[in-house]
Amino acid sequence: MRHSASLANKVFIQRDYSEGTTCKFQTKFPSELESRIERTLFEDTVKTLNNYYAEAEKIGGQSYLEGCLACATAYLIFLCMETRYEKVLKKIAKYIQEQNEKIYAPRGLLITDPIERGMRVIEISIYEDRGSSGSSSGSSSVSGSTAR
Amino acid sequence: MMEAHRAPHRGVRVVIWSASIYFLVESFFSFSCVFRCPWLAVTICPAVPPCCAVLFLFVLANFTMATFMDAGVLPMASEDEDKDDEFRAPLYKNVDVKGVQVRMKWCASCHFYRPPRCSHCSVCDHCVEDFDHHCPWVNNCIGRRNYRYFFLFLLSLTFHMIGVFTFGLIYVLHHMDELWKLHCTVTLVVISISGLFLIPVLGLTGFHFYLVSRGRTTNEQVTGKFQGGVNPFTRGCCNNLEYLVCSPISPKYTVRPCKKTVIHIQPPFLRPETDKQTPVKARDNGIQSRDLQNKVCMSTVELSDIKQQKTPLPLPPKPDHGLLKSQVAHPVITTHTTAAVFSWHIYCTMTKFLLALRPCCCLFFYCVAQLLKTSEQQGNNKGPDLRSESRGSPVRGSHQAGLPVQPLLQASAVSSSLQLNSLPLNSRSLTLKHSSRHGSKSHLPAMHADGLGSNPPPGIISSSGLLANHSSSSSSSLPYDNLINPSDPQFISQRGAPSVSYHPHFMSLGTNGTVQRPPPHTYSPVFMGVSRHSPHLRDLVPQELTPPKSAAARYDNFSKTIMASLHERRELEDRERMLRLQARSQALYGPDMGIYDIPSRRSLPPDNIRPPGSRGPTPPAYGSREFLMSTGILGYGMRTSPLSSSSTSSLTRGPKTSSSPLQSGSSSSLQSKGRSSSPAYCPPERQTQGLPSSTSTLPRLFPSNASSAPPYTSYATTKRSSLLYSSEGKDSVTLGALK
Repeated sequence: MRHSASLANKVFIQRDYSEGTTCKFQTKFPSELESRIERTLFEDTVKTLNNYYAEAEKIGGQSYLEGCLACATAYLIFLCMETRYEKVLKKIAKYIQEQNEKIYAPRGLLITDPIERGMRVIEISIYEDRGSSGSSSGSSSVSGSTAR
Repeated sequence: MMEAHRAPHRGVRVVIWSASIYFLVESFFSFSCVFRCPWLAVTICPAVPPCCAVLFLFVLANFTMATFMDAGVLPMASEDEDKDDEFRAPLYKNVDVKGVQVRMKWCASCHFYRPPRCSHCSVCDHCVEDFDHHCPWVNNCIGRRNYRYFFLFLLSLTFHMIGVFTFGLIYVLHHMDELWKLHCTVTLVVISISGLFLIPVLGLTGFHFYLVSRGRTTNEQVTGKFQGGVNPFTRGCCNNLEYLVCSPISPKYTVRPCKKTVIHIQPPFLRPETDKQTPVKARDNGIQSRDLQNKVCMSTVELSDIKQQKTPLPLPPKPDHGLLKSQVAHPVITTHTTAAVFSWHIYCTMTKFLLALRPCCCLFFYCVAQLLKTSEQQGNNKGPDLRSESRGSPVRGSHQAGLPVQPLLQASAVSSSLQLNSLPLNSRSLTLKHSSRHGSKSHLPAMHADGLGSNPPPGIISSSGLLANHSSSSSSSLPYDNLINPSDPQFISQRGAPSVSYHPHFMSLGTNGTVQRPPPHTYSPVFMGVSRHSPHLRDLVPQELTPPKSAAARYDNFSKTIMASLHERRELEDRERMLRLQARSQALYGPDMGIYDIPSRRSLPPDNIRPPGSRGPTPPAYGSREFLMSTGILGYGMRTSPLSSSSTSSLTRGPKTSSSPLQSGSSSSLQSKGRSSSPAYCPPERQTQGLPSSTSTLPRLFPSNASSAPPYTSYATTKRSSLLYSSEGKDSVTLGALK
């Protein structure tokens, strides 16, 4: 008998606008996840994501250089080079993938990359065990996808 | 229909955009390449033409980027995000940005609350992050991602136009005598057009310089959002300029190339509590279960205590449920727990056990308890063990001896609310625990396998045969599993060998009374046969125990009355259990069936997971239509009511075309509180679909603006609301919902 999981609920972690429009998500632990995952794990994930986004949006030497180069090449550089933000987004996607595989999927949860939601929310899907299904009618596994 | 309506506007926009391109190109060619460059190079400076060329290239590049770059379009929210009933969700949601209350408005088109500084472009029909305006000259929204290019385009265009005008003027002034020649005429035309357009372009550039220095968008400036208040988004003049030029380009949200990676989510799922239970489980002496349910441990301990009781106890007061729960964390019962708590556990579990299995089993238990008493009195520490295991439970010493059946039955009568499925679980766990204690685990895996796997009724026959034949209790448990299984497949997961071991006897006694449930009927023939085998009782219990005959006889005396009362209870609980189990299905976690799926959060329907503050269910939101109707407060006068403590939530979003089945588990509360603001700024698109009566009583200050009006017109309509907003902005109470 194989167990199958079905999507039961979705939790949306909203943006934290207390520091302006910089990308930052609330670390408040949603009540729906209380019985599914440890608070510390969740908070670590969100804090790490916030750090990634802060790194991506940091105004510093690299971003300035990027801007100058883009101006100098009449923005043709964007055709062949990806921006710093995009590079960090790739790191974020990889991190989310890793978190999903190691921590969230074993607990029946799945994090969706916020970029797919326009960076407005972190979507966490909660799966429930639908019990065993002998037939192949129920999917025995749920596939999650992460961007990039 | 929308597309047809927008077609003429789109045509006009394309014309304007094309005209601007043409003008740019024409001015370049006519000015620099044809007439003036050679002369300028010679007369003024050879560097003039290259600089002009570079400048013109810069203008074109920025123009292209401003035209074709995504402004920061926010994709529409999925249905799952918005699960609230339209009538109950507030139109605005306040959020605290650096100490300033900023209002986030619900976007009816995109189905989310617009982030701060985000606005919906009616021309392009999408929400844009850090929306500035929709520029007809580039035929694109100007927002977060392309504001820089737009600004640089304006800047470079200004310089370009100033250059064209200046050098053209110099050329004309030097060729006054040839004024009516072609080259001079063209130059005159060019400088006149340049001079004409220079004024608005210069004005616009200066305006945007001012906006950048103040840290505002055009939208905010025109709507007067931060006119009288503090702008939380500004970083200071220099930092704003730095942010404009040097900030990293934010990513595109729509149409992203994404690499889909598959993640498999396969039950069983880890639970936060289970991690704590792992060490406890290890102490079960090898009884491994993947599903580490706390209650299993609790019930395990409870049943073990039943066996250990030496003297009958009166019905103890029901312990605190919290206390019961606390025992979950400490499944290994030691002398630390109180006798009263254990007694109650015993009653509860026994009741469940009895009701779940057969009415007769309580009677059997009584017999067993008596046996235990006598056996212990004889110095034999064998409890009602049908498995021929000697009992050496350390727990025994801390508990009373076996309870009489009658008190147990009384408890069962009052404990109808107890969950049945834990009863067989308890009995099974009892077996497991005892077998673990006594080290005889060999038969347990067999029990597990049979308990789980065997379904077919023929198992009964074979098991009955086994029953009749077996002489050692160690193997007795095996056929009992088969007996149990066919009666109720759902019980397979919940009952185990120990309960099965009681089964035949209960059934045999039960046939004397009332056997009601259909499944038990399948047992009847078997147990009829078994009942006759009174010596089996001797076989099932250790040799040291007294023969069961006397116990059975005693049981007969009060079985009937007890059965009648139990029957009612059992029927109710049976129905309850069936429904529950069917809904949950067999949540088994593998062959290690020592653990059963006691109703937990996981098995509950999603509704139970809903947080109390969610937008879905219970209390009507402040300011929502439901709330208004329930409190009877309608109209604008609600400001003075408690409702007024909620913000503009007096306005509701309006009906939604699609509904989502999922709950919004968002941590953000839509019960926005704060000063209720103005008001009647109703949601644009859906107003005509029947506004709730509460909002309809509110005065509408301005009409909906869903059509593709010119951008500045839309500014005017929003301006009033923003003015009202700004006036109240200082007074708003922080929601704290998002914090």
